Amino acid sequence: MSTAIENINELADEYVLGLLDAADHALVDERIEHEPELRAAVAASRDRFLALDLLSAAGAGPDGLWDRIASGLDETRAPASGGPAKVAANDNRETVWRLAALAGMAASLLLAIGLGFSLLLRPEPQVIAVLVNDAGEPLVLVEDFGDASARITPLVAFDVPENQVMQVWTLPSKEMGPVSLGLLPRSETITLDGPDLPQPQEAQLYEITIEQAGGSPTGRPTGPILVKGFAKQPR
Amino acid sequence: MQQNDQTILADALSACAQGKRDALRLIFEREGGRMIAVAQRILRRRELAEDVVQEAFIVIWTKADQYAPERGSARGWIYAIARNRALNMLRDGRRLELTDADSLADLQDAASLDHSLDVWSDLEQHDRLRECLSRLDEAKRQSILMAYMSGYTHGEIAGRLRVPLGTAKAWVRRGLASLRECMV
Repeated sequence: MSTAIENINELADEYVLGLLDAADHALVDERIEHEPELRAAVAASRDRFLALDLLSAAGAGPDGLWDRIASGLDETRAPASGGPAKVAANDNRETVWRLAALAGMAASLLLAIGLGFSLLLRPEPQVIAVLVNDAGEPLVLVEDFGDASARITPLVAFDVPENQVMQVWTLPSKEMGPVSLGLLPRSETITLDGPDLPQPQEAQLYEITIEQAGGSPTGRPTGPILVKGFAKQPR
Repeated sequence: MQQNDQTILADALSACAQGKRDALRLIFEREGGRMIAVAQRILRRRELAEDVVQEAFIVIWTKADQYAPERGSARGWIYAIARNRALNMLRDGRRLELTDADSLADLQDAASLDHSLDVWSDLEQHDRLRECLSRLDEAKRQSILMAYMSGYTHGEIAGRLRVPLGTAKAWVRRGLASLRECMV
């Protein structure tokens, strides 16, 4: 078996067992969507271990729990008839997601315009990442200039709870782990002066999480991921 | 029987994607109890496990349209959602209660750990996973079961088995490789 295949299977197993750290786990979540080999490896791994989950007695959960689930469904937008359910699990952000859907098409246009301007008017970013939500809608543009500064351009207004803040992260390498580029206090374009990092690479992960005011207390992402995406080099 | 169950669950997921709530109820009635047990094995507390399964069913409902046979069996996909949410809750909680609950957690860990490490022998005699697990040496089998059954990290496995981190990682890695080879 070649090393590459072995590595994919190993990664899939560690992902399924829950042994990856949060950043690597998120990376696999993302890669599964566009790498059929990894998707197949994860599927096979899940089904290898599934028998262990089935050892407990089968049966329904308690009725009270179903009632809680059912009322949770009431608060969730009903799926479009016949179409796929595109509903955020976090229903209090529903308006944001709806706006996001509308912004989706505009986003690619904005991206094209933004790219054109950035090539003409300012230092060329080393990499550009389009950060997307769970539903794959492009919501934030990150341009990393590779000189410890990065420009963050939200494409929608995010609804951040009071006393919380958006924090921008990147994963320069597995060894370094996630590094904060800075806080995003409002849904406005901002240029962050981050720490000195290795030159950003193609496919480097960028993400934004919701953290307590002042930013993550641990220096690592602790809150829910709002959006994430992988860098591309402008051609 | 197993095949039949899987077909029923796959059909239920596609009905969920069409907005049919009865289909979600059917999944809950067939699998809900066992999903709570899986989450409880990781979180140890029943009420947390129920919270996790509640969340998991909302996720199943909203993501049902993403399920496809290429993502593995329907049941594996459903349980993975519950497992992931349980692991997230476990990791978030650990950060908060690092100090005071230590000794109590240790006691609980020791009790539930023994159980988790034995449970594989309840697999049916002809089950392929049982046979392949039985071929592993005990350290590798324990390491893998600690991770899968109880949500232990590499570091926690090392601590529990009193070996360096690198040793625990190597046991897990080699054990997983042997299982893959054995279960082909």
